[in-house]
Amino acid sequence: MIFSYNWLQSFFQAKLPEPKKLAEILTMHFAEVEEIKKDGQDFTLDIDVRPNRAGDCFSHLGIAREIATITGLKYIGDTYVNLELREDKDLKAKDFIQVEVKLQQACPRYTARVITNVKIEPSPRWLQGRLKVCGLRPINNIVDIANYVMLETGQPLHAFDGEKIESQKIIVRFAKNREKIVTLDEQKFDLNPDVLVIADEKKPVAIAGIKGGKLPEIDKKTKVVVLESANFNSQTIRQGSKKLNLKTDASLRFEHGIDPNLTELAINRAAYLIQRIAKGKIAKGLVDFYPKKVLPKIIKLDLDYVEKLLGIKISVNEIKDTLKKLNFKLTETRSLRKTNQIEVEIPSFRLDVNIPEDLIEEVGRIYGYQKIKSVFPISFLVPPKRNLDIFWEDMTKDILKEAGFTEVYNYSFISENDAKIFKSFQNLIELENSMSEEQKYLRSSLIPNLLKNIQKNQDYFSEIKIFELGKVFEKPAKEERILTGVITGDAFFQAKGVLDILLNKLGISNIFYDEYRTAAEEREICWWYPRKCAEIKVDGERIGFLGEISQRILNEFKLKQKVIYFDIFFEKLSKLASEEHEYRPVSKFPSAVRDIAILVPYQVRVEEVLNKIETVGGSLVRDIDLFDIYEGEELPGGKKNLAFHIIYQAEDRTLSSKEIDELQNKIIKNLEEKPEWQVRK
Amino acid sequence: MKVAKINLKTLKNKAKKEIEKIKDLKGLNEVFNNYLGKKGELTLILRSLEKLPKAKRIKIGKAANELKNILKVEFDKKSQETKERIRKEAEKKEWIDITVPGERPVFGHLHPLTITRRKCEEIFQTMGFTVVEGPEIETEWYNFDALNIPKDHPARDLWDTFFLKNGLLLRTHTSPVQIRYMEKNNPPLRIIVPGTIFRHEATDVSHEFQVFQIEGLMVDKKISVANLKAIVGEFFRRFFEKEVQFRLRPDFFPFVEPGFDISITCLICGGKGCPVCKKTGWLEMAGAGIVHPNVFKNSKLIAKDWQGWAFGFGLERLTMLKYKINDIRLFRSGDLRFLQQF
Repeated sequence: MIFSYNWLQSFFQAKLPEPKKLAEILTMHFAEVEEIKKDGQDFTLDIDVRPNRAGDCFSHLGIAREIATITGLKYIGDTYVNLELREDKDLKAKDFIQVEVKLQQACPRYTARVITNVKIEPSPRWLQGRLKVCGLRPINNIVDIANYVMLETGQPLHAFDGEKIESQKIIVRFAKNREKIVTLDEQKFDLNPDVLVIADEKKPVAIAGIKGGKLPEIDKKTKVVVLESANFNSQTIRQGSKKLNLKTDASLRFEHGIDPNLTELAINRAAYLIQRIAKGKIAKGLVDFYPKKVLPKIIKLDLDYVEKLLGIKISVNEIKDTLKKLNFKLTETRSLRKTNQIEVEIPSFRLDVNIPEDLIEEVGRIYGYQKIKSVFPISFLVPPKRNLDIFWEDMTKDILKEAGFTEVYNYSFISENDAKIFKSFQNLIELENSMSEEQKYLRSSLIPNLLKNIQKNQDYFSEIKIFELGKVFEKPAKEERILTGVITGDAFFQAKGVLDILLNKLGISNIFYDEYRTAAEEREICWWYPRKCAEIKVDGERIGFLGEISQRILNEFKLKQKVIYFDIFFEKLSKLASEEHEYRPVSKFPSAVRDIAILVPYQVRVEEVLNKIETVGGSLVRDIDLFDIYEGEELPGGKKNLAFHIIYQAEDRTLSSKEIDELQNKIIKNLEEKPEWQVRK
Repeated sequence: MKVAKINLKTLKNKAKKEIEKIKDLKGLNEVFNNYLGKKGELTLILRSLEKLPKAKRIKIGKAANELKNILKVEFDKKSQETKERIRKEAEKKEWIDITVPGERPVFGHLHPLTITRRKCEEIFQTMGFTVVEGPEIETEWYNFDALNIPKDHPARDLWDTFFLKNGLLLRTHTSPVQIRYMEKNNPPLRIIVPGTIFRHEATDVSHEFQVFQIEGLMVDKKISVANLKAIVGEFFRRFFEKEVQFRLRPDFFPFVEPGFDISITCLICGGKGCPVCKKTGWLEMAGAGIVHPNVFKNSKLIAKDWQGWAFGFGLERLTMLKYKINDIRLFRSGDLRFLQQF
């Protein structure tokens, strides 16, 4: 919010610190001054008044009070409070206007004054100048004074032409369905019962606390001004402002809450200025609806608690002085003194001070947080617990990094278009207020964004290997971690090898790749090649998928190369992972290698062959290494050649050639039991 | 056999001279064969001995064998010298161009946010903080009400929120985990909460709608602002690996009282003022404060029994300063030209 330096200066006799210095003081003790700008003879300070202090500090008076407290300079703004108004005894406000508030809760106070015989003119230059510095456009002397007093005191005011109000009656009520209003700036609004209005006998004449209506506008002919200085319920105004999508300087102040005791001071200040500037006569009496006066709060403060919370000893005198400078009243009694407590009376304009901690904040910030020295806490030595979720995440990321993968972070959203392409996404959670089509849903898979990553990078990199470990979401409110990697190129077995290493390093054995049987109805919508997809199983439980992205999806994302993906349910992985690992002694006896090449029909799975070799070979076959798969044209139709190294080794002796040859022959014989399998010799 | 005797002497001199002249191993071999080979001069002499009478045979035989040994030593010596010389000459020629670029093993890369997140976790863990996490989809209760941010209050506008059609929302900060953790764990406690958060706001070089936050919470019997300053100072020192000036100034967050903004001296300009710090010389790093009694109450704790503080750092900000990254949107761009620099 913008404040005028000169205006703030007017509340002090002594010279204020120069703008830059003042800004620094305010920043360190009150609220951040975001910008200082020179504006003609004046400077503006853009102060980020936080919402808790809006009630008293969306005003020059409030800021001036803060400056006085922090700097100790004498503040003379209080003279406004005791303004002596010269009221005209022959005119009675009550004869001009009557106020009826239908709902006290929505409008705790309504004060009005009447000023007659006003002369509507442009306001004097000094007043116009101050409004302009604060970003308001001057209109005429009455309206300008109302705005001026709002900027000064924080109390929004409104001026009506008294002669345009039907039956001289102001009614504060909620709007009826189908009521309409045209505002001062000629905007039309359809009202509803959530919106509080100021009405006369027949119709709304203003949207309460937000904006005035066109009908009772002050114009050149206006003679009788009815000034409104009211207090409205903050939630009511916020609700109305949201419903109408209309924010104003007034609604901003009301929705933060204002002290009801402020209305009187503000209206008197405005009446005084109108009398002085627009030469009006102030009718006798303040029309005031104020059934329940707000009284100051009393808070008990334990003086030891101040030190305990701030961690620095501030003398009792300094604490008391600070509170007094803030216009708080202190009461000390013998019984309070015994327990080292004081009673603090909080002026009603400090809506933010409600508990002892609020008082400690006041003491601390005025004292200066920069003066509090760092002290390490004294605490029991409780060793931090290990977070296994994070531990396995870190380990997984490291393994993939070592395997050549680059980690990416993508947004947790997918677009409408992504959802259309990935037809099989079910149960997507939709956003209520997304900012663009790109964030229509929460992602239920990491794949779409990873494919976009490939698309973006494919012109710069020939091979792309990336992964993400992040959350995915599904209706009703499921969220879980998933690990997804993608590799470009003909890399199915490369990906499979990476997964083997990953799972092994995580201490997971019993890994089994099962052919995923893509259901007929899935074939049209799946993102993988139906016959190039494996389920990854550990101890029979599915922990993820490995597959190749289908041509349809590649086309949609304009991808130039094949893409292999793996998708791992990380919560499951994290549960299976284990740090347990046992050393297997290295055999002291030599190993021997024998090769086998076998011609089998194309459809035979390598695993079938491996299983046979293992079963027959038993414990003496230590390892089988498939080193070649050949499917060349010169082979008999529909066959492929598989070549294996078989490594023989015993734990307890050196195997003789005879023993090995016998076993090898046994294996060959067994393989050839299948009529279509042929071991090549 | 006078001739033979003379032969041995001249043979010795001749051989020595020839050996001396030799330059390479091939020559050496030739000369060796000339004297000691199958048909070498000395070999022939030795072979002819058997035809001599015994006395002579012994005498000349002895001299000839002595000569053979002498020559063998000479040949060995020369052979060693020559080999040594050749090795030295060859070594002089052996050369590789060490400026040819190395062949790198293909390594992957961790995301910069992962790297700095780990660093933060490590720093706080060594100070006794346990790392905990919480859900990204939240209820209004945990994200706002329980944190003393009332409904229909403008304070809620401090957090622009993504709402979901299922009636829930995306958490706008990691602070809900304060409540979730304290509901289940009694103080004293020290936790940090790293996590993704969401803000419904437009993006630019320094604003992003999805970012990473690190929340801290310490609760015990006597935990003060002075303690907060000590821990935060230690964190900065360890994170930036140098002395970093920081300050607390008043700020407002409904779940703390008093509340602070924590700023550090701008690391780009050293506090003189530059575009990064908007000419203030300071960079806002975290919001912090003393835990509000209502937060304890809403976590089912007895407020007056406990004191504590909390803070929330933006991980992107820390990472940007650490690596001099100038655009926050790079983190989630998936651009490998960026990611492969880490």
